[in-house]
Amino acid sequence: MARSRSPKNPQRPAGKARFKVGDRVRVKDLPNLFYSRTQMYVRGVVGTIAACTYQDVIPEDEAFNRDGQLEQYYIVRFRQKDLWPEYPFDNDTVQTESPERWLEPA
Amino acid sequence: MSARKDVLKQQDIIGSLQPAIHVPQNWNYEVEPDLYKAYMHPPHDVGGQFDVPVRYEEKEEEQWELDTYVTCEVLGWRGLWNSEERRRRADNDLGYTLYLGIPYYGRWILAAARMLVDKGHISLVELIEKIAEVKARHGKK
Repeated sequence: MARSRSPKNPQRPAGKARFKVGDRVRVKDLPNLFYSRTQMYVRGVVGTIAACTYQDVIPEDEAFNRDGQLEQYYIVRFRQKDLWPEYPFDNDTVQTESPERWLEPA
Repeated sequence: MSARKDVLKQQDIIGSLQPAIHVPQNWNYEVEPDLYKAYMHPPHDVGGQFDVPVRYEEKEEEQWELDTYVTCEVLGWRGLWNSEERRRRADNDLGYTLYLGIPYYGRWILAAARMLVDKGHISLVELIEKIAEVKARHGKK
């Protein structure tokens, strides 16, 4: 992800990735306060880790111009049917990106 | 400067922009948890919500939109803000009415102006007077 950013602070890497490709995870429904990048339509839904992508700044930090601490990001794959109960096709999926803090084992 | 009749016409339009949720609300003393969660929802997350049909419009960027894009990028390169503050949080902080009511790059330029005032690079008085001066120069209301 190319970004125009000049970090103020040295970047602190996240620890070892908690999830691996194929793991089942549920998106947390943390409180919304001032800002969130985690879409409502995936919250509480179980999906599969499709890729363990990279470490980057915590969205809630970056939104307020804090940087330094990095966290692990993942691509999570959901069945469309799990997101939209009335969705007609079993095999269709949608993928979205999520930082580790918003995911829990399912 | 607007004539008084223009100000009164504005008042009518502003009144019509009250959020179209059909429960009475006016600085409620008691807010049910579900309603509280709805109030706290950030405007940019619209996926999965019901909406009225909207017209799909495909058009080239206009010059002011390109100028806005470049201005915001340059402010980023100079380290005044980062992309998350700019495209996401500052846009959301405009509130539902502005977020949904004005063009995409309208959000950006207002968010940029707000950031410059918030961070003390320009004063609000300076900005308001400049806008009034430019409007007068172009003969706009």
